[in-house]
Amino acid sequence: MKKAVKKKAKKLPVVKKAKRLPVIKKARKAKVVKKAGRAKKTVSRAVNAIESPRSKTEETKYYPRPTPYLPPRQWEHEELPERYGDTRIVIMARDPYWVFAYWEVSDERRMQVEREASVSWNEMRKVLRVYDITGKDFNGYNANRYFDIDLHPAATSWYINVGAADRSWCVDLGVITPDGKFIMIARSNIVMTPRDSASDVVDEEWMSIEEEFLKLYGLWGGFAGASPGKAQIKKIMKERLQQELSSGGFSSSVRPPNYKGRGFWMVVNTELIVYGATEPDATVTVQGRPIKLSRDGTFSLRFALPDGDQVIPVKGVSADKEEERVITPIVKKFTR
Amino acid sequence: MEKGYLCIVLHSHLPYVRHPEYEDFLEEDWLYEAITETYIPLINVYNGLVRDGVDFRITMSITPSLCSMLADPLLQDRYIKHLDTLIELAGKEVERTRWEPAFNRLALMYQAQFIETRRTFVDRYHKNILTAFKEFQDMGKLEIITCNATHGFLPLMEVCPNSVRAQVQVGANNYERFFGRRPRGTWLAECGYFPGADAFVKEAGIRYFFTDTHGILHASPRPKYGVYAPVFCRSGVAAFARDFESSKQVWSAIEGYPGDFNYREFYRDIGFDLDFDYIKPYIHKEGIRINTGIKYYRITGRTDQKEPYNPDWARERAASHAGNFMFNREKQVEFLSDVMKKKPIIVAPYDAELYGHWWYEGPMFLDFLFRKLHYDQKSIKPITPSEYLEQNPRNQVSTPTMSSWGYKGYCEHWLDGSNDWIYRHLHKASDRMTELANSYPGATGITRRALNQALRELLLAQSSDWAFILKTGTVVQYAVKRTKDHILRFTRLYNDIKANRVDEGWLADIEYKDNLFPEIDYRVHT
Repeated sequence: MKKAVKKKAKKLPVVKKAKRLPVIKKARKAKVVKKAGRAKKTVSRAVNAIESPRSKTEETKYYPRPTPYLPPRQWEHEELPERYGDTRIVIMARDPYWVFAYWEVSDERRMQVEREASVSWNEMRKVLRVYDITGKDFNGYNANRYFDIDLHPAATSWYINVGAADRSWCVDLGVITPDGKFIMIARSNIVMTPRDSASDVVDEEWMSIEEEFLKLYGLWGGFAGASPGKAQIKKIMKERLQQELSSGGFSSSVRPPNYKGRGFWMVVNTELIVYGATEPDATVTVQGRPIKLSRDGTFSLRFALPDGDQVIPVKGVSADKEEERVITPIVKKFTR
Repeated sequence: MEKGYLCIVLHSHLPYVRHPEYEDFLEEDWLYEAITETYIPLINVYNGLVRDGVDFRITMSITPSLCSMLADPLLQDRYIKHLDTLIELAGKEVERTRWEPAFNRLALMYQAQFIETRRTFVDRYHKNILTAFKEFQDMGKLEIITCNATHGFLPLMEVCPNSVRAQVQVGANNYERFFGRRPRGTWLAECGYFPGADAFVKEAGIRYFFTDTHGILHASPRPKYGVYAPVFCRSGVAAFARDFESSKQVWSAIEGYPGDFNYREFYRDIGFDLDFDYIKPYIHKEGIRINTGIKYYRITGRTDQKEPYNPDWARERAASHAGNFMFNREKQVEFLSDVMKKKPIIVAPYDAELYGHWWYEGPMFLDFLFRKLHYDQKSIKPITPSEYLEQNPRNQVSTPTMSSWGYKGYCEHWLDGSNDWIYRHLHKASDRMTELANSYPGATGITRRALNQALRELLLAQSSDWAFILKTGTVVQYAVKRTKDHILRFTRLYNDIKANRVDEGWLADIEYKDNLFPEIDYRVHT
């Protein structure tokens, strides 16, 4: 099983894809990847453009780094329900090329479909039928085109590679009966994938010559002053979108690593503790500076100890100023 | 006469983290760190500019969840406690570093800073620093804008229009309570916009919002002035877009200012560096090492052998970076005004917490920048979006594209294998909230309280921060806990309200825990 995953993943241009698949039990992952690979063929190829290697900027120090060790903190709470008893599919546009769908099917609806298809629910071939309904008042039959995605039986969500920006989409969750009939279980809301390039629609009142627009547009790609070609700009812009120039979220959530992930490292420091005791009402100075005694007359000081000699006169004077004592530890530290 | 405008926007936000049920809660430190390292340093910069007669303009979003925390007495008192501990630690550090002058100087610097911070927080602003920001707004220097109530990410809420409305309305109403007037602008969380979201902004009486660069560059019809003039959405709300170049100069660590070798290194903090027994009283109670805020090193270079921080060198760099930033904006404005035949507005938004918390010298950079803009040049004028719209009432009508300023520019950071499981619960709860609001249009007494609390819980569950954390993998268990806690509390309220058996003791307990938005009215979710 494991091998299969690896091999398949290599073949796909998008290795990260496995991550986006619906979360299901591990043992089944291999199968799902395979399925996703098949689904991919049914759609156009615009995806590669957004999957090119991440730009360097992403490695900025502001990008979240791995966390230091935090002991797992567990809190008691109930679990959220796996299902709410609805029959429903919802879709969300993730970016110009991907649409996310999640769904659930109630027990009643499952039984109904079982009767209609004469196949048990678990053995049924479940599909997402993805309609491109751009410019249509969709009634179920007038889509510009559609494609089907075979689902893993246990899947309850899916990332659909629609591969086309600025289009409207609607998705049916359904089953295909052994004799090839499609039974719709639920129909989704409609979403529109966002544009990934400049609009060709121009408002007459706010027209500008192409070259001037490209100048402004090109600034995004760092072309100040130059007049880049349109194709060149489009390419640069897509790269721009992959740069992380905001933290996103909130900055404070990012915790620093404790040196980890930087290869081998070692640090050695030394500190010196100077401690002692005298009469509680005596006055004590260390290197000429007065210090505070504990109630029982003890004291303890802690110093970072650099290389070299430290001469540390500790002077105590009795409360009646009659008696005085000086003790001077001398410490030599060197590092090799 | 100026040739163009510069609009600096600082977006300050933290998720609502407040746990009265725990004595010491790790994630509450986000707020304390941000107050010490960003909010108060910014207030100090603003005060200095006002004192010296430097005319400046900054647009600053302070999100409703952050406002609510800054105004919360429990968190205010906990902050003072936090600060007192820090002052004590700095005092010990002054002693400990006695034989190392390079560090001793820094320990003294921190000690003085923390003591001054305490004075500003307690004596000058009486624990509520919102009053400071309000003062600068009333002077006309600062334009404070609002945000979605709990920083909910709108593009992934499009199927729940009532929740979009509630996020925007509750945010705007909350602003009014703190700042005494309606907000003129809003920061849509993560710059998350979808076509149609502007209608909800309009409904709340707000005049403008921001998108990322491509939100407007890819607007339709094509925007004549690119991102250097706002467009009006069909609803009449103005959309301003981020300028890429000015963002890059500050944000990018490769080319950006904050990576300068003389600046303070964020990742070396005595909370991690010092002997465990010594530092133990100043880290988390369970012995988890955390940042204390005392950091002694400069970035030095691409090396682990860091050298001590030198405040004078850093200050010099901040001044020269401010000069460089201004120089580049001048060149940009000259080029743009020539192409556009019109005064461009350069919109430069940043996370506020970048300044100070991450980039220690950031507030100083802003201070230098506004002084230089004021004294050293004539071609750029700092401006707020409101002022710009007053002077430029006629703008092109166009619809921005769905976009965000997150990774890859759309929704990927908040919709990914690590966090996509939350949406079925969020959407279901939103549908249920609508059902409740429609079924109980005139609720009173305990039912009304329960309905209002249900909306609070829903909004808290919708914070984009939980999805963000799940994706970045930082404090995942906490984000899971928060998502589940709020959804479960909401669900119980939903069931109890419908069965007419709200448990008042339990309701009072969650009202006490999730106590933000006292002015909330559940009927907004219809």
